[in-house]
Amino acid sequence: MIVNELILPVILVTVVLVVGAYLVAVIDEAIAGALGLPRAANAWMAPLARGAWLLTQQANATEAPDWRAWRLAPALYLALAAIGLAVVPFSPTLIPTDLVTGVVLWGSIEALATVVIFLHGWSANTLLSLIGAYRYVALGLSYILISMFVLIGVALPAESLQFSQVVASQAELWNVIRQPLGLPLFLIVGLGVTFWGPLNLADSRDLAGGTASAISGPPRLVWNLARSAMLVAFSGAAASAFLGGWLGPWLPGPVWMLLKMLAVLAVLLLIGRLVPRVQPERCVTLMWVVLLPLSFVDLIWAGVEALW
Amino acid sequence: MAVSRLSRLAARARVPVFPALGMHGEPALHRLALTAGIELVDSPRHASLLLVAGGVPPDRHAALRRVHDQLPAPFATLWYRSEPLIELAGATRVDELDALPEALTTLHRELMQGQRGSSPRLLPDEPPNPWEGLGDDGHGGEGMMGGVPYGRPMVMNMTDDLRDGLTLDSLTVTLGPFLPMLPPGLSAEVTLQGDLVYAWTTQDAPYPTALGSVFFRALQEPVPIAELERARARHHLKRLHVALRLAGLERLALQALRLAFEPRVEQERVTKLRRRLGRSGFFRLTTTGQGRLEQGQARRVGGVAARAAGLEEDLRGRDAAYRRLGFTPILQDGGDTGARWRQTLAEIDQSLQLAHQAEREGAHTEVIGSVETPCGPWGEHRSEDASRLLDELLPGLEWDEALSTLASLDLAAVSEWPQETLQGSTEASGNGAESCEERRA
Repeated sequence: MIVNELILPVILVTVVLVVGAYLVAVIDEAIAGALGLPRAANAWMAPLARGAWLLTQQANATEAPDWRAWRLAPALYLALAAIGLAVVPFSPTLIPTDLVTGVVLWGSIEALATVVIFLHGWSANTLLSLIGAYRYVALGLSYILISMFVLIGVALPAESLQFSQVVASQAELWNVIRQPLGLPLFLIVGLGVTFWGPLNLADSRDLAGGTASAISGPPRLVWNLARSAMLVAFSGAAASAFLGGWLGPWLPGPVWMLLKMLAVLAVLLLIGRLVPRVQPERCVTLMWVVLLPLSFVDLIWAGVEALW
Repeated sequence: MAVSRLSRLAARARVPVFPALGMHGEPALHRLALTAGIELVDSPRHASLLLVAGGVPPDRHAALRRVHDQLPAPFATLWYRSEPLIELAGATRVDELDALPEALTTLHRELMQGQRGSSPRLLPDEPPNPWEGLGDDGHGGEGMMGGVPYGRPMVMNMTDDLRDGLTLDSLTVTLGPFLPMLPPGLSAEVTLQGDLVYAWTTQDAPYPTALGSVFFRALQEPVPIAELERARARHHLKRLHVALRLAGLERLALQALRLAFEPRVEQERVTKLRRRLGRSGFFRLTTTGQGRLEQGQARRVGGVAARAAGLEEDLRGRDAAYRRLGFTPILQDGGDTGARWRQTLAEIDQSLQLAHQAEREGAHTEVIGSVETPCGPWGEHRSEDASRLLDELLPGLEWDEALSTLASLDLAAVSEWPQETLQGSTEASGNGAESCEERRA
């Protein structure tokens, strides 16, 4: 009982997150090289060398930070990624935690991510970190509603809020085709929750790294690891909700699931390299004026399709 | 054993360098941006090496010491064409641009493998001002309000909101002169409400920009138009690199920089870059019609900014040789950040077209005594610093908008020495820095 319901799920989630975060760094490096950016001598070695460098570096202090919150925030963000991945099914039987309210739990992770990222920026007690924190709140409030409508859309045909049921409901037709607006909208949510590429408003270059501008050494390693881990967790949620999860011919279910997660990761990382950072005001306007109405349309579409 | 393995592995990481730019230190930045294995970081907290590139005037030494002490241990400094601070007299100095990447890599490896000690702290590890907190909450005010702990006032809701009525606490800070997102040398006192710039007071002007020697020769004698126009295109491409990097378009930023260093910039490749920029959403997503210059302001800045605001001001139009090549000034009517970048790209294109045509016809300039530089007209006087304009232009903009506006403007004065002279001799760099400093004072 303890082995099946606690130890194995923890091992599964940890392995997928750690290997996944490493692969995020490798794929990003490979994409950068393919796009003509100066590449590392060895893309497989580069993330390990960077991790070792951060481990040897001093964890610095700022003037009167809120120490507990500052040190805890990266760990909390990592924990949120782990919790998010825990409800993702890898096969009909290989599911770390098959919660009947898995979709709701994922939504709560997106909401809590806003709190944790704000905490990270605010607790450093430095200007650029604080601006990053403010910005993330504006972004977080904007994408959460979109995510909610899109996720309700995939729960409708499954008649369940359980990710395994959402996957099972795609046996005949994947949601990416059944609800064509859903995946593009959810990918934008993914860029938001991981503040990656065009939606990297919290840790951006114009803020010298934003909420992470004042951290160094091991805390920065944990923060970077947590961001990559959240990308992995998100790719799991997206693959389950829209790409049929473990469903697919010839290969075992978990292999299909991992391949689909890698595909989602590659798309997010490519967008991150090709699209400029959206100005915060333009971003909020786009979210509320364009994307939120589109998510209504997606939900209505899903409802009509479910009734039909 | 494990520690030594970790150190050896750490030594193989990309070399994280924080560049603190002094006068005319940009060539070092450009070289490193194009070097694999070097990572230019935006925060001193993210670096193991502090690169001081170019002469730093004495009045910026205090700020440089503060930046130095922000690097986490172990760290080292490298001085490129710059005299190390007196406390760091033994620090490594490099004067050859070609030797710079290798020197940084070696320094990093030695640092990681423990063959070199960390740079000493220069300032005492204590708050810059004493704790002056009093009262129940320890910050010296009443209740939850007021007080000046550590000599800085608590953020207080003291100013009206400029934008939408959502009033946030205002916070006043000094930024620069080594903040990588600002032009080198610029420092300002900025009051922010959230990420909204409430007030901006320029304190130190950016360092003067060094132009290619061809612009100086054009004042004295006829010069090949092809050479002049290629130098103009290169200058604009380097500025574009800065803006694209700031916008998160690393790939296109490097493409622009690579083009700037090509012996013969090909128009086709610039056209391709323009197309890619348009497709990436650079104009739609990163510019929002902000940073608009009024005609008077645009005239003060001159050059691209003036023409982007619809002012037909270009000394090339007075030169018969240019007119024979069919030159007419390109104009925009927006005057905002987006219009300035559209204008810049169009002018790069036009310059390369003129260069191509002039080369075929062997055309030389005919007007002596004045020249249209990439920074504006140079007639009786060189372009002067226009950074005070920011005090009126930036308030009311969000931080991101303010920085993209800043990147689109060429506000620094033009240096009295050509680029080649400054790069050709170490002595020239030091003397130049001092002289420019005196002139500004």
